[in-house]
Amino acid sequence: MISFRRFAKTCLTGTILFLSFSLGTTANAQDGKTLFQTNCAACHAVHKKSTGPALTGVEDRWTDKAKLHAWIKNSAAVLKSGDKYANDLYLEYNKTAMPAFSSLSDGDIDAILAYIKSVPAPGAAAPGAAVAAAPAAEGDNTLLFGILTLILAVVALILLQVNANLKKLSDEREGFAPVEPVPFWRNKAYIAFVTVILFIVGGYLTSKGAMALGRSKDYQPVQPIYYSHKVHAGVNQINCQYCHTGVYQGKQATIPSVNVCMNCHMNINEYKGEKLYDEEGKEVDGTAEIKKLYKYAGFEEGKPWDATQAKPIEWARIHNLPDHVYFNHSQHVKAGQVACQTCHGEIQKMDEVKQFSDLSMGWCVNCHRETKVQFKDNGFYSIYEKYHQDLKSGKIDSTKGITVEKIGGTECQKCHY
Amino acid sequence: MMKKLSIITVLSAAVVIVSCSDVKRTPGNIYMPDMAYSRAYETYADHSNLAEKGIHYTAMPVAGTISREEEMPFHLTKDAPGDSTNYVASKLVKNPIDSLSAKDEAEAERLYLVNCGICHGAKLNGNGPLYKDGNGPYAAKPATLVGDAKYEAMPEGQMFYSVAYGKNMMGSYASQMSRKQRWMVIRYIKDQQAKAKSTATAAPAAAAVTK
Repeated sequence: MISFRRFAKTCLTGTILFLSFSLGTTANAQDGKTLFQTNCAACHAVHKKSTGPALTGVEDRWTDKAKLHAWIKNSAAVLKSGDKYANDLYLEYNKTAMPAFSSLSDGDIDAILAYIKSVPAPGAAAPGAAVAAAPAAEGDNTLLFGILTLILAVVALILLQVNANLKKLSDEREGFAPVEPVPFWRNKAYIAFVTVILFIVGGYLTSKGAMALGRSKDYQPVQPIYYSHKVHAGVNQINCQYCHTGVYQGKQATIPSVNVCMNCHMNINEYKGEKLYDEEGKEVDGTAEIKKLYKYAGFEEGKPWDATQAKPIEWARIHNLPDHVYFNHSQHVKAGQVACQTCHGEIQKMDEVKQFSDLSMGWCVNCHRETKVQFKDNGFYSIYEKYHQDLKSGKIDSTKGITVEKIGGTECQKCHY
Repeated sequence: MMKKLSIITVLSAAVVIVSCSDVKRTPGNIYMPDMAYSRAYETYADHSNLAEKGIHYTAMPVAGTISREEEMPFHLTKDAPGDSTNYVASKLVKNPIDSLSAKDEAEAERLYLVNCGICHGAKLNGNGPLYKDGNGPYAAKPATLVGDAKYEAMPEGQMFYSVAYGKNMMGSYASQMSRKQRWMVIRYIKDQQAKAKSTATAAPAAAAVTK
């Protein structure tokens, strides 16, 4: 029994030893990319300055390979030895010390260096990949319809003229006395017809214009920086609330200050995605737009950023409710659990944001009439005890639920006070 | 003749106006502007000339006040570049939140996913959509919060320091999360680390039991 246990133990230690040994050898087996990503990539990129210098060509910069190994294993010791290149580097990167990587073997370091050499420069990689389809010509048929209508109108006029001439000819043949022709602008039928048309069109345009007063649906101003919500919230999947923090906490959704932009753009200093176009169809240089942000932030690349130098970006406000109506974001987003897109449209697909809803009172009230309140597991509505009871007892159809209107969502004072 | 001409101009002008409004770059007109625009100062209105009018207003809370349900202030200030005294000292600061209730944990997870997940990954593996194994736009590898011994051993106070003041490429999140929210997220990360560790040790143990 005892011997069996001992045998099992030796077997176990043997396998562990073997496993760790084989793992060790696989780590040495030139898996530089993984090693690079776990140890170096937090501070270094291959072709770009980050917290530390870009690593491409690092072996050429160091005179001695042994010294580079010593630097990676323990940078503080190399600094102390008084090496000039190392000390200059330390000062250039604002005295940010590189942690000691004593766990890396010489083989590991060589693997990492080999990986760094193998990464192609970003400009050289697949030039054909950058070809993006130009924005598709809009399928606009208005012109076609206009031309068709015009042609038909001309045809109708010609036919009318032909008809009149034929009538005149037949009248002459029949021997009727020719009637003095009435010019069409004095023809009563024509005048009545045109008046009615003018009345209808004029009335439609006037009422439409009057309704549009104070509403700015589709308003799409030019912003100080071409900021694409499509790139940020769509392609890169940044949550709306990352920037619009206040939406859960208060009335305003809050427009992010420059430091929120700089959280990512301290590192991301160029745009490499699909080509960008503004609404007029002109191409936009994303990298130049990021540089505009740096100007506002007072940030110079490669130097530590002093946030106190930042100036606010004066974005053009798109959604604006009149002063006499109160609207609170947190009430809708946190308590009501309404998605941003319900009112703002598919923001994650808009390069330049435009106002999606007309923000009219009819629009508000309509939604309040139709939307069910999220009663379930929502502490905010726990005071409506009767409704909760009625829902439970089946007195109120739970599929229909409680609309916002039922809890006073269409009362004047809810929004106007 | 005059009548004909005027009708033609009106019609063509109408056609031009209707067909031109493709991109709406102006907000349009307001009916009764005194009701639409606030007489009082509103958020994002220009406050710069208040002092000229003799109004002394500050949007900051009174120094030393703490809002309701907020945690106590973090007493360490940000280190000067090249210095790491306070970063080291922050190791000793304790997280005031010991454990999260189920509701708080859901909230902490939400906060993590909104603010941190974009870089550090929804699974806390340091591989969020901005990094994407080095193929995303963000060139620096975000910290692997679960699965890296360095961050599993990192004291919570030091994590708080990094979240509050930023570290390396990471910026400060003090403007996006309150102190309490930051501590909650750190608690959440520590809980996730513990969970991953217990499942990692539980799995071989379970395998040993079946043997």
